[in-house]
Amino acid sequence: MFRYFISLFFVLVAYMTWAQTEGGNDTIARKDSYGLRVGVDLSRQVLGALKDNYNGLELVGDFRLSDRWWLAVELGNEERTQEELLAETPLYKYTTSGSYVKLGGDYNTYTNWFGMRNQIHIGGRYAYSTFSSTVEGFRYFNSNRIFSPDELLIGSTEPRELSGLNASWLEFVVGMKAEVIKNIYIGITARLGHLVGEKDPDNFKNLWIPGFNKVTEGAKWGVGYNYTLSYFLPLYKKVKKKEVPEQE
Amino acid sequence: MKRLCPILLLFMAIIHFSSCEKDDICVEGDTPLLVIGFYDITDTTFKSVNNLRILSTDNDSILNSTTEYGFTDRSNSPDSISMPLRISETTTTFQFISGSSSDDDGNEIGNIDELQFNYTVESSFVSRACGFVASYIDLDIPREVTEEDWIRSINIIESNITASNRIHVQIFH
Repeated sequence: MFRYFISLFFVLVAYMTWAQTEGGNDTIARKDSYGLRVGVDLSRQVLGALKDNYNGLELVGDFRLSDRWWLAVELGNEERTQEELLAETPLYKYTTSGSYVKLGGDYNTYTNWFGMRNQIHIGGRYAYSTFSSTVEGFRYFNSNRIFSPDELLIGSTEPRELSGLNASWLEFVVGMKAEVIKNIYIGITARLGHLVGEKDPDNFKNLWIPGFNKVTEGAKWGVGYNYTLSYFLPLYKKVKKKEVPEQE
Repeated sequence: MKRLCPILLLFMAIIHFSSCEKDDICVEGDTPLLVIGFYDITDTTFKSVNNLRILSTDNDSILNSTTEYGFTDRSNSPDSISMPLRISETTTTFQFISGSSSDDDGNEIGNIDELQFNYTVESSFVSRACGFVASYIDLDIPREVTEEDWIRSINIIESNITASNRIHVQIFH
């Protein structure tokens, strides 16, 4: 999944550099807008509407600190019910529900033409999530079928709630934002997270963490993404420092 | 560039919704089997049982699989064998038959010893792919030895059965 994003970004960057060579050296002192951009992740809204087993909301915000640096934050809440199957047999079903916050920075690697305000950015986040997991029911996995030839035996159908769980992770972010209408941006980011701390439940594991997504077994990696629609609120303007024209 | 973006986003959305990720298979664990070792009553070394048959009185099935239980029906037993316990109940009863064979009418002529295994069942989570397995806690084998019995003594080494990789119960004969 993630490699699609990566390769697509490479394709995109190639376009950008190709376009870049056409731009001349501008010598006009230009003013850049600084301010706060707030938005919402559309993918979580769409998934929530399409799927019965998922509900989620993510609000995003970033604040321009300097020419290329943005302070970035994401706040979210997600709930997801999943069932693990062995062939056709349900093994267990669980619901994870909780909130998360991600805080970090983005660096804009893209040099815009005059008047354009698009971004291709890389960045990092520190993220923290508090959540609870509920094991809705399970069957005993047993490869010996002498006493139950037809099915795996039901272990429990009583939901068991495991609350007070938390996890923290570091996230690497790549993304782009394009201004489609004045001050309205659409954006996309792909994220690779690595767990740095987690509180595991008793007799269960954190298999999915809000904001982090599926926890791969063994390695503590998670992959995420978002598609955002956001509004840039210009607060003040600052003269862009003149760049030394590149010699060609 | 501006016109490219929405197309690109749509393209990524299509890729995303069409990709699947299910590739987990369970290799990390399983509900354990009870492992029984056979020993000589006099010098406590491993000793094979002649023509062993193990019959479940709960559902009249006979253990017969080298891969699962470690021996085939009515063969001379290896040093140790494995046997399943019921998860749905807290007791499982087996007939251990030494020198098992049938007479002309099909009746068992071997020496039959019946053992009842009592325990409590607990669940433990193994991994994403395996989910929960059972383990058997506080194993007890209540028994009185009579003159005709071929099993002279039983020793429970491991009363909590959480894995099948070591001997839990010693049978001396």
